Order: sequence, then C-alpha cells, then structure tokens
Amino acid sequence: MKILATYNIKGGVGKTATAVNLAHVAAAQGNRVLVWDLDPQGAATFYFRVKPKVKGGGRAIVRGSIELGDAIKATDFDNLDLVPADFSYRHLDLWLDDAKKPLVRLRRALRQVADEYDYVFLDCPPSISLTSESVFRAADALLVPTIPTTLSLRTYEQLDRFVEENPDMVRELKVLGFFSMVDRHKRLQRRFMNELRTAHPEILDATIPNSTDIERMGIHREPIGSYGKGSRAARSYDTLWNEIQARL
Amino acid sequence: MGKVRRFEVTAAGDFASVLSVLTDHLNLRVLSLDEVERTWLDTPSGHLNASGSTLEFRRLPSDAAPTLTWSKVGGVVVHDPCVSTTPPVTAAALPASAAFARLADLVGDAVFVPGPTVNSQIAVLASLDDEEKTTARVVLDRSESIDGVALPMVLELLPLRGYESECSALEKSLKRSVALAAMEKTTKELAEESFDKTESEESLSPSLVPTMSAASAWRMVFRDLSDSMTQSFSGVLSGLDPEDLHAFRVAVRRLRTILQDGADVVDSESRDRFRLDYHWLGDITTPTRDADVHLVEFPVLASTLPEEHRHQLDSFTELLRQHRADCHQQMVAELRSIRRAEFGTAWMAFLEDDDVWTDCGELSDQPVMPIILSRIERARRQLVKDGRKITKKSPPISLHELRKEGKRLRYLLECFAPLFDQDALHEILAPLKDLQDILGEFQDAEVQATALLALASELELTDDRSVLPTMVGVIEQLRARGADARAAFAKSFGGFDDRKVKRAFDRLEPRKKSGKNSSRKKK
Repeated sequence: MKILATYNIKGGVGKTATAVNLAHVAAAQGNRVLVWDLDPQGAATFYFRVKPKVKGGGRAIVRGSIELGDAIKATDFDNLDLVPADFSYRHLDLWLDDAKKPLVRLRRALRQVADEYDYVFLDCPPSISLTSESVFRAADALLVPTIPTTLSLRTYEQLDRFVEENPDMVRELKVLGFFSMVDRHKRLQRRFMNELRTAHPEILDATIPNSTDIERMGIHREPIGSYGKGSRAARSYDTLWNEIQARL
Repeated sequence: MGKVRRFEVTAAGDFASVLSVLTDHLNLRVLSLDEVERTWLDTPSGHLNASGSTLEFRRLPSDAAPTLTWSKVGGVVVHDPCVSTTPPVTAAALPASAAFARLADLVGDAVFVPGPTVNSQIAVLASLDDEEKTTARVVLDRSESIDGVALPMVLELLPLRGYESECSALEKSLKRSVALAAMEKTTKELAEESFDKTESEESLSPSLVPTMSAASAWRMVFRDLSDSMTQSFSGVLSGLDPEDLHAFRVAVRRLRTILQDGADVVDSESRDRFRLDYHWLGDITTPTRDADVHLVEFPVLASTLPEEHRHQLDSFTELLRQHRADCHQQMVAELRSIRRAEFGTAWMAFLEDDDVWTDCGELSDQPVMPIILSRIERARRQLVKDGRKITKKSPPISLHELRKEGKRLRYLLECFAPLFDQDALHEILAPLKDLQDILGEFQDAEVQATALLALASELELTDDRSVLPTMVGVIEQLRARGADARAAFAKSFGGFDDRKVKRAFDRLEPRKKSGKNSSRKKK
C-alpha cells in the first residue's frame, strides 16, 4: 500500500481536486484506492456525495478506539472508497497533541487497512501543523500542487526547506511537486514555471490546466474522469498519475 | 463490500415490468441498461474460478467494441474495451492496463477457454440517498442460453461498504414489491447447468395424479397457468403478435375458473382476493383484445365488399390501428402499475407458501378425483339446464351467459385433463368446442358490430364521412353472421346435450386396469 498526501501550506491550489481525480484514475485502472478526507471543510467528501460524518467520531480513529475500516464508505466508483471528513477534524491538532506518539497515529490507523488497498490518498488541510507533520510521517509521497504565482512558489520553497531541515520526521518521504491551475496564455506563469523547474528539477513534467471542466466538479459532484472523460483536463490527470507512478 | 444477496425473480412478468417496479415503485436509478452477448472465460484448470473471480467477454448488438470485464465477488475490478472482436485466448491479448496486467500475472501462460455463452438483458440500478449518493446497487439479469433456453431472472443486491443498513432496508422493500426467492447460483452457474440439463431431468417434472390431494392438484394447476402467463407476458407488452395477448387472457380466464371452483380446497381469503385481482387483470386486457380482433377481422369483412368500395375503408382501418395503439398503451401502463406488481408478488408468494396450502379448506386434504368430478358435473348440469332454456326469443345476454358456463366447464376439463380417461375427454370436448364456437361467433359478431358502430360515429364527427355507407355494409354483414350463428345454436347444443356425451362424462374417471381387462384376457 502506498500512501500519497496531497498537500500544500497554501489553500486553494487544487489539493482536493488532485486527490479526488488521481484516486479516480487509479481506481479505474483496477487499483484498490482509499481517499481519507482530513480537511474539516470536507470538499473531497462533498465531491463524492458522502455525508461528512465519521461513525464514532474522528477522534476515535486517532485514539484507536475504533478501526479505520469502520469509518470507510464506498463511493459510487468501483474500487474507490472514502473515509469522509468530519467537522470535528478542526480539532485534529489538539487530539494529536493530547495523544502519545502523535506523529505515528495516522500511520498506525492506516496500517489497519494495508491489505485492502493499493493506494491511499490523504487530502490534507492547508497549513503546517501537527496534523501535517503526522501526515509527513505516514505518507510515502507528498503531491504538492503549485500555482505558478509568486505566493505559491514561496510556499513551495517553505515546504521544501521544512522537509530538508527535518529529515527524522519525513524519513523516506518523496516530495512530488507539480504545477496546478496553469494558464499557458499567461507569460508570467510560464516564466515562474521555468524558473522553478530550473531551481527544482524534481518537479513533475505533467501540469494541470486552469479549466472550467475541473471547476464543474462542484456541480457534478464527481471526479472529472466520470463526467468529462477525454477532456484535456481529465487527460492531464491521467498523465500526472502515470508520472507519479513512475516516480514512486 | 458486503456479501452479495442474490435472488431469483419469481414474479410473473418480463424484464421490463420488473424493471419498471424497481424504477417507478422503489425509485431506483438506472445506471446502465444493456442487451449483450456474454461469454465467460477461464483457464482449463479454472484459475479464475479458484480465485473467486470471473472474466466476461461482452459483445453488444451495436458496432461498439466488445468489452472485457474482470470481476471479483460483488464488484468490478476492471472493465475495458477489447482490442479484438473475439475473446482473448492468452493473457497477451488482454487489454493493456494495470489491472489486466495483474490478471495476466494470475493466469501466467495459461490459455483462456470459453465457457457458456448467454444473451442477456442487464440493468444496473442504484439506490440513492438524499445527496444522490449510491447506497446500494441492484443488478437485474434476464439471460437465455444461445439455444434459447431461458434462465431464471436473477436480481442481485450489491451492498456498498458503509451503507449496510441502507442495503438491508432496500432488501426489505424489494421483497415487498417483487416476488423473490433467495438463490446461491450466479447467472454463469445457471448457464453451465442449463447446458448440462438432460431431457430425462425435464421429464421428472411432477404431473397431476388422481390420488394426490385436492389442494396439491389445484396448486399445481395454478402454477402451470402462471407459467403460461409468464411465457406470454413479454409478448403482451411488446404487442407485436396478438396471439400472445390471446394466450395470456386464456390463462387468466382459466385461473379465474379454477379459483371460482376452488371452494373448500383453496384458502378462502386468498381465493376471494385473487378472484378480484384476476377479474381486474382480465378487464384491463379486454379493450386491446377487442381491438386486435377488429384489426384481424375487419380486412376479412372488407374483402367481401365490392372492390370499388374497399379503398373507402382505408381511413377507418387507420382509425382502428390508432384505437388499438391507444388501448395497448393504456394496457401496458396498467400491466406495469404498482397494483399489478403487488398483485403478482402476492400471487407468487401465495403459490410458494406451504403454510397457506396446509389445512386450507374442508376438502383440501381429500383426493382430487371425486372433488373435480363433482365440480365438473355441477358445471355440466348448469350448462345443460340453461342451454335447454334458450329459445329463438332469448336475449343475447342469455347466450353470452351460456358461453361463459361452457368456458367454465371446458377449462375444468382441460386444466385437470391428465387425471381423466383421454377417450372420454375427447368425446366431451369435441361437441363442447363446437358449441363454444357457435356461441363465440354469435357474441363476437354482436360485440364487433357494436364496437364498429361506436368507432364509425367517431368518423362521423370528422370530415371524412364518405366511408360511412360502406361501414354500414360491413356492420350488416356482421349482423348476418350473428344471425347465422344463432340459427345454428339449437343443432350445436343438441350435439352436446346428448346421451353419448353424458355417458362420456360418466367415464371420465379412468378404469383400473387390473380389473375387467385382465379377467377378459383369461376368458
């Protein structure tokens, strides 16, 4: 089982769309996939039409008093399940802080379903906090969508520095950045992308366009591969997934 | 994914009517609806079967590429278009995807051999919650082997992880709305069995015997008639062949007769309920049957008119067609209604429930032979008594009632036919059918003339009145046919009300062969 976390310190960069669409692509290829919506806003949960409530409460999972498997809900798609968000996840940092060995809590919970899934996508809330540190410990790779703008590039640099400075915490964690919400018509965006690729050659080649097809996920409440199969945006997620698999 | 719950749909009805119950009554949403040819594949040593999975090659009637579906218990692993138009023979011919690569690993160098092939109608439906999220899936599968052997209609309920309580609630609703019997076998297993089925197995099906209890015999007859209804039901809905509706209505009328003559044998409460239901079922099919008869008979009648008048009837023929289409549409709506579904479910449950058939009437445990003979005798006496009262002045309704009594007698004889001496039965049925034909001819002429008159009055309201004089000619012909039939009644009734026929009734119970026959041989 590989654990992939869509993560960025900054919000609104396409983390949830990435988690949902890549999970859908992976599942459509016959992989057994789980998405865990850790963001109390519950956007991934919304996209899958699942009610944002964890049976027994989110805290019980962190404490280990209920099995993660008991909270899992099937989505409408074959091979694709979800641990829904719960608004109480806004206290996740506090729960982890109260717990012994907080950094291993998520990993321990995920170990319970290790035989059931090939890939787990963690859709993380923005910020750097105890939650994100726990995610870093649990995950095999961070998928970091980055908008080619000044502020986004700055946060990418922050994350990169954090990972570099905390080798004990992140261990084997791979950071797979890629450009998201790209508008190829904007010369400035093209310039930022070139600069960042030069500074960080590990950034993936695949890019996700700034597309109304992706924005429509909120209307259709399903992954783009379901309602917009074959569209440029949908194909961009296929390409991204192929590249990620090659890097894992 | 929880355990798949699998049922045989035992309700009388075709795929479309069961589907309409699922969509209209239970509000399930159709996710896909396909007519496909399916061939299951496995390795000679059964790698896939052993791993609890199936590989299915599906060919659509359209030009669309065939697909290959790899499924594990309760869920599809992967479903991809197939490169080739024929089933893959080796793993190398599987579609190029990560999932099929796993399947290739599973089977190694082994070849795929085709198993049974069936033609299927498959609907996948979803039960949705208030967020329009699927909480359970239902697969309705109506398949037949390529030899045309129909397999039981299968309904699978596929629970989704985290929605077990919703699935259980749906299961309860399904059982209330559709007659279901739990089954273990998959369509693939049923198809395999169908190929292995021998004729000798078929001949083992039970039949009526004089020593069986009255309740068992009545139940068996009900089952046979239900099967007849089921067989013609899809044809009734399609409306392509009027014979299907005719066969369906005959089965309904027979059921009504056997119910009517089931006092003290059949549970009285059920009997009362289903008599009403079958009466309704007969009624809703009558307008379409009448319209069918008009459409069949009208050209025959028109052909007897002078040639120069025939073309004038074209607009009327079109009116008949439209009328028939309207009647059929209305009938199909009724046949797919909730009422029909609930009635069908209750009827099948009634036939399957052993408790309802235990001590269900004063005579239920007694041997069937004396009971059916006494009921036949009662029906015969009634027919003879009322037939003798018919004079030239009797109103048409008297002949109509007599026709119904004749049908009742005939159905009792025919439905329990295996119990009787076949020579005696033939001697009774031949004159009885003659009488029925004459009464039928009389009534059909009356009904058709009245109906055509009503339809002609519709034309009168339109601009096209040129046809009316010709129509009057047709109606007069019908009246003349009715008069001929009426004139022939006395002779025909005399043929039935005859000592020879009466003696044949006395010989209906087969003689025991060990008695007189053996002593005659000794002489």
